[in-house]
Order: sequence, then C-alpha cells, then structure tokens
Amino acid sequence: MGTKLKDLMNNPKEAFYKGHFACAGCGSVLALRHAIGAIADKVILVVPACCTSVYQGSGKGVSFNVPTINTAFASSDSVASGIKAAMEMKGKDVHVVVWAGDGGTADIGIATLIGACDREEDILHIMYSNNVYSNTGGQRSGDTPIGARTSTTPDGNTTARKMVPFIMMADNAKYVATASVAHLTDLVDKVKKAVSLKGFKFIQIDATCPVAWKVDFSNSIEVARLAVQTGIWPLFEWDRDIGKVTISRPSQKYLDKEHRKPITEWTEIQGRFRGITEEQLKALDADTDRQWDFIKKFL
Amino acid sequence: MVGKTVTLTGNFAAGKAAEMAKPKVIAVYPITPQTDIIEYLSGLVSSGKLDARFITVESEHSALAACAGAAWSGVRTFTATSSQGLLYMGEWVFWSGYGRLPIIMPVVNRCLAPGWSIFVDLQDSMAFRDAGWIQIYTKNNQEVFDTVLQAFKIGESKDISLPVMPCLDGFVLSHTTAKVELPDPEEAYSFVGDYSDPVVEVDVDNPWAYGGLVGPEQFNIARRDLMKAMERAKEKIIKVNKEFEETFGRSYGNGLIEQYGDDDADLTLITMGTMGDEADEAIDQLKQEGYKVNGVRVRTFRPFPVEDIVRIAKKNRKLFVLDRAVSFGHEGPLRIEIEAVLKRHNLDIPISGDIVGLGGESVPFKRIMKIAKEALRS
Repeated sequence: MGTKLKDLMNNPKEAFYKGHFACAGCGSVLALRHAIGAIADKVILVVPACCTSVYQGSGKGVSFNVPTINTAFASSDSVASGIKAAMEMKGKDVHVVVWAGDGGTADIGIATLIGACDREEDILHIMYSNNVYSNTGGQRSGDTPIGARTSTTPDGNTTARKMVPFIMMADNAKYVATASVAHLTDLVDKVKKAVSLKGFKFIQIDATCPVAWKVDFSNSIEVARLAVQTGIWPLFEWDRDIGKVTISRPSQKYLDKEHRKPITEWTEIQGRFRGITEEQLKALDADTDRQWDFIKKFL
Repeated sequence: MVGKTVTLTGNFAAGKAAEMAKPKVIAVYPITPQTDIIEYLSGLVSSGKLDARFITVESEHSALAACAGAAWSGVRTFTATSSQGLLYMGEWVFWSGYGRLPIIMPVVNRCLAPGWSIFVDLQDSMAFRDAGWIQIYTKNNQEVFDTVLQAFKIGESKDISLPVMPCLDGFVLSHTTAKVELPDPEEAYSFVGDYSDPVVEVDVDNPWAYGGLVGPEQFNIARRDLMKAMERAKEKIIKVNKEFEETFGRSYGNGLIEQYGDDDADLTLITMGTMGDEADEAIDQLKQEGYKVNGVRVRTFRPFPVEDIVRIAKKNRKLFVLDRAVSFGHEGPLRIEIEAVLKRHNLDIPISGDIVGLGGESVPFKRIMKIAKEALRS
C-alpha cells in the first residue's frame, strides 16, 4: 500500500483530540492515533474493558473523535457483529473495528473473538498487545511472554504466550497480521488493507506499556523495535485466499536467525525481565523459534 | 380487522408477534424450552419473509451483546432465552437495562440447576429484578402474543427506552398449543410502529462515546433517569394496554395487574404467570361453594404495580401470595414486594403466602382451592 511517513500526518481526521488519559510513552495510544486515524472518516470503534476504555477520557471530556462503544469485557466482537448487522440493514458502509487489549482478546474475550471469526463477520479486531492486564495493575495474561515479571507472576511467567494470530489463521480468518508501534507505516498499511477486505480480519500490535514493562518512557519505541530485531515479534501477513504468509518488510531480514540480535538486547532494557533465569531465557528463545517455525510452514 | 384464529404454542405465539414487529437484527443462542421461537424466526429470515440479520452467536452472553450493538445502532432488536441462558447473559442483562437499550427478549421461565430440570418456575427472571428491565408475566398463549407485540411499543418509546422481558411459563405455555387470535400482520405492525426515533444511535458523522468512564455526578444522573423511566413505564403500559384494547379488542386488567373477582372479598389470592389462570378457575369454583375470594395476577413485576396493590389492600380483608420462586433466607419475591408496599402505606392487613410450583411442580386449580380454604380458616 506504500504508506509514507509524511502520510501519517494526513489522516482523513484525527482519531482523538487532546485530553486523553494515557501514560507517557503508551504504545496503545500511539497505535490508535495512526491505525484508527487512517480510517477515521468511516470507523465505529468497539472497546471492551481495557486501558483504552479509561484513556479515552471521562464524562464530557472524552477525547475520541470517532464513535466509540464501550462494552463489557468478554463481548466486544459480538457487539461489533450487532453493530455491523444493523449498519448493513441501514445500508451504511462503515468499518466496525474492535480495539481490545490482550486480556479482552486472548483470555476472557477469546470465545467472542472466535465466534465472530467463524461466522465470518465483516469486522476488524485489533489487539493491542501489552502482554499484561495493564489497566488493573499489570497481572499476567495469556499473552505474557516467558520470564516476564507481572504482579501475579513475581518469579517470572513460566509458560509460552498464547499466539492469537495463529489461532485466527486456524479459524479461517480472512486476514491476519502482526504489527508494531515501531513500524507505524507498516501498521497503517495493514489496517487499510484489512478494512478493504470483506470478512473477519485480525491484527495484533506489539504495543509497549512502559509501566508494566518497566521501560523508560523514552525507550517505548526502541523496545518495540528491538522486539522485531531480536525476532521476538515477527511481523507478517496472512491472507486466507492466497493461503500464504508474507513476512513484512521490517522482519524480512530476521527470517534467518543468524541476522537477529540476541534476545537479551530486548530483555535487558525492560525491568520486567530483571532476574530472568538462564532457563527462562532459553525457554523464551525456544518459544521465539517455535513462532518462526510455525510461520515458515506457510511461506 | 382481518385477523384469524389459530392454535399455537406459546413459543410460536412469541415468534409470530416478533415476526409482525419486523425486528432488523436477531441474535440468538439455543436453550430449551426457548428453541422454537428462534427456529421459527430463522426460517422466516432464510426464506426472505422477514428482512432481518439473524446472528447465531456462540453464547447467550454474546446473543445479548450483539443485540446491544444493534440497539446502539438504532434498529429494532429481538432475542429470546431461558433459565441458565439468562444467567449466562447476566452481565449484558444489566448492561442493556442500565444502558437503556430497548431490546425485546421473551424469557421462557425455567428453573435453575441443580438439579437439572427443564420445567417451569420463575427463579430465572426473578434473579434479574434489579437489572432495569420491564418484566411482564403472561397467563396464556394469547397473552404471550399480545405482550410481545406490546413490548416493542412500550420499550422503544422515546420517553421509556428500556428493554422488555415478556415472560412465559416453560412448557405450560411454551410447548402447549392453545387458541390464539392473530391480527392482520399489517395492522399489527402499524400498532407497533417504526422504531424511528431511538434515544441512542451510533453515527460516524456525529461521534459520541457510549458506556465510558463517568464520575459519581453523571453516574447518578443516569441512574435517577432510569428510575424515572421505570415510573413512566407504568403509565405507558397502562396506555398501551388501552390502545391494544381499542385496536384488537383485548386487554389484561389495567396492564399492570389483572383482577378476577370482587373487591369486597374475604381473601385475595395474588399470583403471577399461568398460576393466575388456575387461580381464576379456583375462584369460580370457590364462589359456587359460597366463598368470597378475589384474584389478582401481577402482570408487571417491574415496574411493580404499587398503586394497584395499595388500592386492593384497602378494599380487602386478607391477602395470600402464591410465589413460584424463592429468595432464600427470606420469602417468595412477590410476597416480599407486597409486604413492603403494605408497610410503606401503613396498611394493616393480614398477609400470608406459600411457595409452590418449583421445578415444574403442577399447581392445578384444585390445589389452589385447597390453599385458599386453609388461608380463609387461619
């Protein structure tokens, strides 16, 4: 699609105005500004309980400039299905987009997500992934990587993260992609492509949470870039009708493990990995290989 | 009027009424004994007889969530459920009530597990007394049809904007055929009218945020507004009941309660649902035996017909409440409400009651006669 950096400043309208409550360095708010801003003239946003339901603002001081429906935690894709159905009945061509965290997607929301996907609802689910329940103080979610300290895994999470994109590929989603706040033009390309397709679309964005990840605010983008460079977060696209995975440009170089930076470059700038054991590092590395091996099967 | 009389189960009566109201979005999840309602509508949508989107979701929680999404978009919305299904959608029952989303959802009353049973009591819908829904309980299949039709007109009117739960006893009504007079579909639709002026309508060109963060001040404004809407709903239900009578020649008491018998009675039996129909029969028999017994069937549990209960209590000597649900640790929910009304209005009238008919236990008129005679003696 070829979104250029300067295009990021030329959205049809701003997704939100001043007055949001997000923390400094929040990956989600940056991603929302560009991903939703790029399609802001035609979007209805559905937001389950997550940081976004808080940082949009309060009462009369809501900062969002797109219609936003806040929903109960485990139901955003069902609400979106109902909105899309109603809009179709009214003859209105709109993009109904779920904007949900990893808890509302990978954990409590997964039944509604998969349900909407297997019904082939014409909606886009964007999962902004900060790997924890950030809004409630940083508890472990199904998306928490191995070795990460959270407020409910004080000795480091021991199990591999739930890779929702793979689940969605298996559930016959029309389009699946991963994206990163360090690669905004790539993100915007993917969002624009997704809304141009009919059917269920899913995009997961690696979205830094400086608070939960214990990263300096100024390193918010750097840590996301390192996730790509170390291979921790492979950027790719899957189109059901083509039946193939395409590695996105920022990740192409890292298809070969030889070219990846050591994962310790990613872990060492994050306080959440302080005290990670050798064993956990090995397991994290092996889990990263597992993800690449899965993707490579579809190249 | 080009109506026709047919024999229908309660479920098909509910389905027929929904068909005539022409909802635009129907989202459903199956549960016994509600299934005929949704199967009937799915057939209509797939054959093109009903122009609607029919969404077969993966759970009741999602069924009501999808209806909420559609209602937020300003279209007429319908679903139906029962028992465990109603409990599973619980979060959205409250969300749609407090969110003022006028979803119409018949609840086929069925008891709650354990033990596992599919038969009637009112424990399921009673659990949602405080969810901000209008609840209307029905006594026969005709009333099921009429109430579902009325529900759209009541819930969707702009000064009310509340979801409505027409309740019908599982199997006793849902699966039992009886004579139902159906109106001409066009006349039925014109009675309901278009849902043309929704309070909430999500719109790309006029962005608003719904259901977001609020402080205590705005929160209380919303809750107090809901309280007022429930009060207004009483008048609306009475008005719609009258309009229905003018159009179709049928009414159910004043809409809130239905009285059977005379005010000046030694005993007033207070019931809900099909027990009300059995109570009427019992009252006829008791009259023949020389007893002066009056019957009151509470039709709307929410809003609760406080003024009617006061009026009846003032003219009667003894009240007896038949509850088909329990508030464990206290009494039957209907009796609790009525005792509260008496207390608040300083009405010193003897009241007692019994909990009957749980888990589908049969409550025939003969049993009600026996209960009434015992109550008269005590």
